[in-house]
Amino acid sequence: MRSEEYFQTLAALWDGQLVVCALGTNANEWWRVTRSPDCFYMHAAMGFSSSFALGLALAAPRAEVWLLDSDGGLSMNLGGLLTEAAAQPPNLKHLVLANRCYQTLRGAPLVNADVADYAGLARAAGIRNVWSVEAAAELRERVQAFTASGAHAFVVAEVERVVETGQFEAPPPLPYEGPEVKYRFGRHVEEKLGISVFGPQGF
Amino acid sequence: MVAHPPARPNQAVYLALLESLRQAGVTLSAALPDDWVAPLADLLDAQPDVTSLRVAREPEIVAICSGAFFGGARAVGIMGATGFLACVSEIATLNLRHQIPVFLVVSLRGGLHDLQVFQELQGRVFVPLLRTLDLPHLVLDRPEKVALLPQAYEYGRLHKRPYVVCLSKALVTGQVSEH
Repeated sequence: MRSEEYFQTLAALWDGQLVVCALGTNANEWWRVTRSPDCFYMHAAMGFSSSFALGLALAAPRAEVWLLDSDGGLSMNLGGLLTEAAAQPPNLKHLVLANRCYQTLRGAPLVNADVADYAGLARAAGIRNVWSVEAAAELRERVQAFTASGAHAFVVAEVERVVETGQFEAPPPLPYEGPEVKYRFGRHVEEKLGISVFGPQGF
Repeated sequence: MVAHPPARPNQAVYLALLESLRQAGVTLSAALPDDWVAPLADLLDAQPDVTSLRVAREPEIVAICSGAFFGGARAVGIMGATGFLACVSEIATLNLRHQIPVFLVVSLRGGLHDLQVFQELQGRVFVPLLRTLDLPHLVLDRPEKVALLPQAYEYGRLHKRPYVVCLSKALVTGQVSEH
């Protein structure tokens, strides 16, 4: 499927889940299609959005957490698959956009991407519910299924790399950063779950 | 030749650390310990009301504790000084950039009670690295300091950055502190 199909499909199915976006394509494109201030856009720590989302899911078991990850990020934290497999929180849905390159580096090569089996790596780490999808319709069915299942899910979506031709429109920049990402997301979590992320004096 | 001092970790110290973490409100732990901090990780694993994780590499700990912060949980990360060196990028770009507090207990390796060739570099760079990153930290070298952990936890949240508790061998073996 094409990149815009991937993000539009997810955005159409999004129903208030807590969303954590890995840096690069996921953060950029999710902002492009949703303009939502309620998500965590990780413009840092490449590879560790999966660990961040794992900690969030374990700490907030009543919330469904969507992690929008990438094959580049996954490659940087393959050991994290073992940690995720050991926990497999039912409220964590780990989506891996596999475009087989570093898209935000204009398609720079990703190590061994032509043959790497990311779903196979997840299964070998011990993750039980693993799927691969190639078409938007498959993605839609899978997301609907895992939302209904109440079980941990790991989905690898094969997405075409974007070739930046003359018609390419770059995603708009997120108009805020760092601490504001923290406070917008944290306040959203507080409101949605009725919990305290920050103390009575705001820290 | 200087003989290595005897190392007989005192379990009572680890139990006191556990109790102090409880008083700080800790309900989640993520750990990849070395032998100095391993007894604390084991104790946390054994607590039925603490969600505990073992990880494959230390930067995961930093990110797990950061995510847990947004879920309203108080987390502790446990690792060795060598592992902390692997976390610099994540601490700089995730925690310092976004002002996310995490609470870490890290072994203070490479000092006078740790004359081992594979720890000598850590002994020279660990604390200076904390200063370079502008991370508040506490050298835990006497039993009476253990009670400071709840205040240290609040201090890290107030300053919106990682707080590092440096666990010395003097604390867990009762030897004279060099600090």
